[in-house]
Amino acid sequence: MKASRRGFLLGGVAVAGAGVGGLAGHIAEPERAAPAPADRVSFYGARQAGIATPPQQRLAFAAYDLVTTDRAALRELLKTWTAAAAAMCAGQMVPGDSTTPAAPPADTGEAVGLSPGNLTVTIGFGPSLFDGRFGLAGKRPAALADLPHFPKDQIEAASSNGDLCIQACADDPVVAFHAIRNLARLGRGTVTMRWSQLGFGKAASASAAEETPRNLMGFKDGTRNIETADNDLMDQHVWVGSEGEQAWLRGGSYLVARKVRMKIEAWDRDYLSDQEAVFGRTKVSGAPLTGGKEHDDPNFAAKDSSGRPVIPMDAHMRLAAHENNGGLRILRRGYSYTDGMFSDSGELDAGLFFIAYQKDPRNQFVPLQRKLAANDALNEYIEHVASGLYACPPGVSTSGDFWGSALFA
Amino acid sequence: MPRIMRTALRSLPVLVLVTGMAACTDGKSSSSSDSVAPGAATVTITLTDDGCTPSPATVTAGPINFEIKNSTATKVSEAELLRGDTIMGEKENLTPGLSGSFSLKLEAGKYQVYCPNAKTEKVDFTVSGSAAAGSSDPAVATALTGATAKYQQYVAAEVDKLLPATKTFTDAVRAGNLDAAKKAFAPARYYYEEVEPVAESFGDLDPDIDARIDDVDNVADWTGFHRIEKGLWEDRSTKGLAPIATKLDQDVAKLKTLVATVKFQPAQLANGATELLNEVASSKITGEEDRYSHTDLSDFEANVIGAQSAFQLLQPALEKIDPTLSSNVRQQFAAVLDSIKPYKKGDTYVDYTKVTEDQRRVLTQKVDALAEPLSQVAAKVTL
Repeated sequence: MKASRRGFLLGGVAVAGAGVGGLAGHIAEPERAAPAPADRVSFYGARQAGIATPPQQRLAFAAYDLVTTDRAALRELLKTWTAAAAAMCAGQMVPGDSTTPAAPPADTGEAVGLSPGNLTVTIGFGPSLFDGRFGLAGKRPAALADLPHFPKDQIEAASSNGDLCIQACADDPVVAFHAIRNLARLGRGTVTMRWSQLGFGKAASASAAEETPRNLMGFKDGTRNIETADNDLMDQHVWVGSEGEQAWLRGGSYLVARKVRMKIEAWDRDYLSDQEAVFGRTKVSGAPLTGGKEHDDPNFAAKDSSGRPVIPMDAHMRLAAHENNGGLRILRRGYSYTDGMFSDSGELDAGLFFIAYQKDPRNQFVPLQRKLAANDALNEYIEHVASGLYACPPGVSTSGDFWGSALFA
Repeated sequence: MPRIMRTALRSLPVLVLVTGMAACTDGKSSSSSDSVAPGAATVTITLTDDGCTPSPATVTAGPINFEIKNSTATKVSEAELLRGDTIMGEKENLTPGLSGSFSLKLEAGKYQVYCPNAKTEKVDFTVSGSAAAGSSDPAVATALTGATAKYQQYVAAEVDKLLPATKTFTDAVRAGNLDAAKKAFAPARYYYEEVEPVAESFGDLDPDIDARIDDVDNVADWTGFHRIEKGLWEDRSTKGLAPIATKLDQDVAKLKTLVATVKFQPAQLANGATELLNEVASSKITGEEDRYSHTDLSDFEANVIGAQSAFQLLQPALEKIDPTLSSNVRQQFAAVLDSIKPYKKGDTYVDYTKVTEDQRRVLTQKVDALAEPLSQVAAKVTL
């Protein structure tokens, strides 16, 4: 059945009413008339949703490992997941039987009554999926090269990488979590969840018309993010095009995830002008230290009265700016996270779950991060603790198709 | 929010009908019979301090949805459906303002609604006639009926083995022979763990036999296997354990009498098997069950074998109903049993503290991979 979750709730109330008053015929009517919810992002399309989609408020991210070597089982999983993701994005329950008293419901139920919340569910394939277990070694794109070790990396292997990843974003955290939970359940016996991360607040915007959300350091970082409505920029920097040697990935993108732990307590003790020097921005307005407003171009040549650069040479913004990287840009789509606190130190466990999309990480994230890891003033206050790289296939155009179907063609 | 959610979930079993109705009656007024779910009768039980009366008090055999609500009762917060001493279904923790439900397929017979602490605690409830057969294939129905009869025999046979195995254990305790008692502990428990969900349906019997220290309000009242386990491994003494040992013998004897009276439905076999795997995941893999002796892997195996025995009886029918599910569950059972083989040491298993966190994680994943498809079996075999 394809009951909308809201309709399901209305219907449920109708039956409860029927038990006492026999009013089902009247109460059930709103369900028929219910319009499609406004906060719904189309699952189907040439591109996967969740990349160019304006960032929603919340993130639930999970990486999964295959526990089978059966190619047919992988294919079946991707079909099942695609159907479930499409239903959830439409605000429907996970397909299957949720009504037989003697069986557990197909949908776990925590999103019943909630609207879609602009849910997008985006899949990525890790390098390990192409290791030969599934006869896919020949389909591995050259750009899906394992990320190198960067200076100062403190990567925990148990919470990094994975055969598959799911990025679920929604304006309601329950809706986002419901997605990764139900996919894990549908995949039991075929996949196990390898690691997972919740993000409680978006830390990127996709339009200069919008204010840039602040990170947990209180700064607007990434104010000059790619505007996703700009198709030329998206084609130039984000979408894999005909230059990619693997036809199955054309129209897709590469997702780099980095869990960047912030040393919150130390940062909070740093004096204001140093905090601003670290980012190269004014804390309150978000404008470059050379003036203007948050979205304005910085003047990297500007010097102060004593001849020193106004935006320091090791400022995060100077090192990351496309002007200083031969035009190199990435689409940032990260979220602030917290995992509570460290029980050994009592300090906060929080930071940025950095997500970036790009057309070739070898020419985008990797050189950029090499430079940042070696020079960034911010490094005193952050630590990269988890990492993942995934190739995100193009979108699913019709309900008969499924994620990554071209891999099996 | 929790209450709205509860309402929505409670109504899941009957919702398909309403959606379907809305589509097909479109604009026409609906007769009252449209609002009754196909085959599923609804019985309302209102909790009051005086008692709880089911309405209606008699229904026809078949699927029945019990809706329990508490508007004002302060002394009563639960309702159980009993058949003799067996709890068929229950809803607990309904404080004033809360409601809940459970669904069962009931055969004809005399039942009671039991509301502990009410002025009148038990009220009769009658199921009349016989349920219509749900399966169109008579061979499947016969296979399922056969499965329930064989499961009854299986349970009786395992409890028959439980009695002497327990006696070996309790004799050693009474004789003050610490080593012999320790050696006999896991083998005795094995037969109990195989059929635990059945034992759990007999009210206080399971807590008396198998409670852990944190399950009891007052440690002085703690009895059963784990009380003795603590004495043997932690206190390293049989002192004071003889009365507990004797009560354990009596309790397993009581279990033998009670299991002889129980009849099962195919869905109960399947759901009981799933429960056994939930037991494995929630208390064996965590090492909570046998926290003094660390013999958890023996219980683990017994739970899985008990679940597999139930499943294998359903398998011939399931092969006809859903061969893909049947073969998936069969393979996952084999995978779980393979996963504990490396820990086998002679007749027993390694001390569970030797199993690392990473190894425990793998065990959990194997159990989850089995329990998920297994949980789908009940709906397929409901007659």
